[in-house]
Amino acid sequence: MRKVAIVGGGLAPFGVRQATWKELAQEAGGATFRDIKNLERKDVDSLFVGAAMPERFAFQSHVAPMVAEQVGVTPTKVITRTELACASGQSAIRMAYACIAAGLSDIALCIGVEKMNIPDPPEMQTSMACVLDREFDGVQGASAPPFFALCANRHMHDYGTTREQMAMVSAKNHHFSTTNPFAQFQKDIPVEKVLTSPMVAPPLRLFDCSGITDGAAGVVLTTAERAKEFTDTPMYILGSGQCSMGSNLANYKSFSTWFPLKEAAKEAYRSAKIGPGDLDLAEVHDCFTISEIMEYEDLGFCEKGKGGKFIEDGKSDLGGKIPINTRGGLLGTGHPLGATGIAQAIELMQQFRSSVPRQRLVDNAEIGMAHNLSGAANVHSILIYGRNPP
Amino acid sequence: MTATIRLPYLLDFYPLQDEKYTRIHQFFTNLKVGRFTTTKCRDCEKLHWQPRAVCPDCGSENLEWVDLPKTGEVHAFTAMLLGAPMGFEKDLPFVMALVKLDGLDFKILSRVDGIKHEDCKIGMRLKFKTVTRDDGRVFFRFEPIG
Repeated sequence: MRKVAIVGGGLAPFGVRQATWKELAQEAGGATFRDIKNLERKDVDSLFVGAAMPERFAFQSHVAPMVAEQVGVTPTKVITRTELACASGQSAIRMAYACIAAGLSDIALCIGVEKMNIPDPPEMQTSMACVLDREFDGVQGASAPPFFALCANRHMHDYGTTREQMAMVSAKNHHFSTTNPFAQFQKDIPVEKVLTSPMVAPPLRLFDCSGITDGAAGVVLTTAERAKEFTDTPMYILGSGQCSMGSNLANYKSFSTWFPLKEAAKEAYRSAKIGPGDLDLAEVHDCFTISEIMEYEDLGFCEKGKGGKFIEDGKSDLGGKIPINTRGGLLGTGHPLGATGIAQAIELMQQFRSSVPRQRLVDNAEIGMAHNLSGAANVHSILIYGRNPP
Repeated sequence: MTATIRLPYLLDFYPLQDEKYTRIHQFFTNLKVGRFTTTKCRDCEKLHWQPRAVCPDCGSENLEWVDLPKTGEVHAFTAMLLGAPMGFEKDLPFVMALVKLDGLDFKILSRVDGIKHEDCKIGMRLKFKTVTRDDGRVFFRFEPIG
């Protein structure tokens, strides 16, 4: 298997954008090529487009060739779209990684795009709810906020996690996003404001939830061998893990432990030949505040049940045991489903380059994790990245 | 009766229920007479949720309909207060719970009628009920006992 690196990438600003799905893809493509010296559009032999539901949000299918045209590439080896709901962006990177490692592609572009703000919000909510088992869970009212609220309810019951601890996750990530001009939300949201924001699905309130976001992101992958042709600072893929368990909620082993996350983490650490203590920072999927707390635990950053204490003690903040979500996370930057996993990779790459603003820089970071969950947390996807070759 | 808001097929959460559309039409036919059922594999004895056309464990299509317990308890609960999908806006607010059915490991997600989320508790006893829409489609929910 060939070793693989990301050589650059770029973002379209996240937010409620006055732009179409296609235009967001154009912006991400433009930003990506501007970031990579010596890379010409004709050098790209493959394209992977992370997009969760363009059929719903943009009434458009067969989007990969459309993105190829929008960003000016003509793939001759592999072209496809990757759909894995909230992990669609990371899926694009994973598939590009696999194809380059296997020798099917030499230079692959990944573009993640989502346009979620549409004129009628209930129509958007309908689309989001069909990420779950629509016929048996969606019909009962389950969508993202109620599902994660059930996890929060059970985690509070099983481990004594508090509302204040969950609010601290939101406050931390919103504070990081004040340093990020690409973020949907660039203002501080203190704990008190989280705790008094409107209730969405008890115990979760508005600022426990990530936004409904338009955005796009792009990265380019090539072999570790060729990476230095395009940048002095490649970011190498060190390992990966992914696990899926169940879909209908009745088939879950637990709602306060995410077993597929534990399995994905085990494989990611094994393949990268590291343990959780070797990570200098991590981008984890904070679609809701409770998610980040459960991820501290099930990724092995702290003991099971101690995730609330972990945030309370500042262990996931800058200067703590492992800074988490320095770009602002999904809570601060928003969550355009197809773009999120790619935006996380860009943050880690920029951290390794020391090109993020000083206020969120993790000094001398060498190893980082990007984690996404998707759907009702039944799938967990992890990539481990390094500043140095494996 | 629950008032029906007519939605295009691909925006409607309620499945089409008769045999023209689904191999598990018996589930809905049973609901209409108050039975809460699912499929069980006659070959490997796996009990399924949701009801299946093919056993996911052994691949058999030799399945039978069996009755599920109609009582259980709240394993976890929440409610939808904001952000309803189309067709649910008029129902707000409503409570949902993972219902641990008596004697089984299943924790089935269900709407819970007749209670406010402020009054819900983990461990609270619930019983099965059905709701019938005015277009004839049916589904199940739960409600507090007593």
